[in-house]
Amino acid sequence: MEELRSYASIMRWIESVNRYYKLPESDWTPRLAAVRLFCERLGKDPDAVIRAAVEEKGAKVEMMRRSKQIAKEISGDARAAHDWDGVVRSFFIHNGARVVVRPYEDE
Amino acid sequence: MDFLRVCGLRRSIRIFDRKKPVDRAAVQRILEVVRVATSCPGNLQPWRAIVVEQEKLAAADRKTLLAADNYQAAHAQAPIWIYWCADAGAARPDTFRKRVHELIDVGAMPTYYGWTHETVDGSILRGEIAPEGMANIEQIIHGMPLEMSAMIARQETVGACAIALLAAVNEGLGTCLHSCHGAEKVGDVRRVLKLPESWSTIWVQLVGHPLEDREAGGQRPRLPFGELFFEMDPSRPFARDERVAKDLEREGLLQAPSPKPGRFEELMRIGRQLGYPL
Repeated sequence: MEELRSYASIMRWIESVNRYYKLPESDWTPRLAAVRLFCERLGKDPDAVIRAAVEEKGAKVEMMRRSKQIAKEISGDARAAHDWDGVVRSFFIHNGARVVVRPYEDE
Repeated sequence: MDFLRVCGLRRSIRIFDRKKPVDRAAVQRILEVVRVATSCPGNLQPWRAIVVEQEKLAAADRKTLLAADNYQAAHAQAPIWIYWCADAGAARPDTFRKRVHELIDVGAMPTYYGWTHETVDGSILRGEIAPEGMANIEQIIHGMPLEMSAMIARQETVGACAIALLAAVNEGLGTCLHSCHGAEKVGDVRRVLKLPESWSTIWVQLVGHPLEDREAGGQRPRLPFGELFFEMDPSRPFARDERVAKDLEREGLLQAPSPKPGRFEELMRIGRQLGYPL
């Protein structure tokens, strides 16, 4: 995969999130790492992931399922998994792919 | 709370503290305000409200009502849902007649304008032209079709909702109106709420303690005064006296516009607290 920030979908994501929340660079490092890992597991680059999600609902649903699965694998607890999955969902949302978001289960 | 400050603080609150219950007395106070303060032609009062305590709902019913509103987060969070309904049956000619008689008898409608039981009955029952000085009720109410009753009930219930919002703000609560359902879910909501045939849903008013600041980031963007209000005809915007606006600022009606400094930091903090993705 090329430098992640060179993908249009990644640039759009960062620009859109920072338009409202202006996240510090230190926040973006783990966020980008999460999306990189997600894309690698899917075997697609970020732009291709978004293209597929926007074009076909079934593909998007499956990707969300994978995101949850990966989050569980790599995270220590339920909240951390929720946060990791949330980063992927944010990437989708800010690229115009409609996904379901939920609060923490205990919230 | 001062009336102008209540109006100035009215916001659609979209983040509620779902763990903080609403005092039952506060809900009653909202309903009492609506009952007394809402105006309606012929004193029909065709609004009805069903107060639903989210916690007391059966899980399946809760799910049905939330699904009807597309699982909107604020709806899921607010502890109290007030379903405002319009009763078309309460806006029929006979109700008009009964209510107007009542108004005449309590001295609300001066007989010297022509309001008497006889003139009202003549206009409503027989379509006789109302004397000058009275509303021409024969044109609206005599032989009024049910669709017209439904329309009147709906429009007047919307007015009740506006009062209910201000009443909730006055109680120090957060509130917001949501649509009760999309077109496909009307039947689901009617079934769960056990609505009588003549009632139709208008809005669901969410009530709870706001998790966001009650100013919710400031007053919402409003169209310029002169685009909304006119004098004499629509080509002449109503001249706004800036001294009056300054007074209203001091009195709490006109407040800082959104986004106030720190609004997005607040949203970020709450989003992180609840686990929503930024």
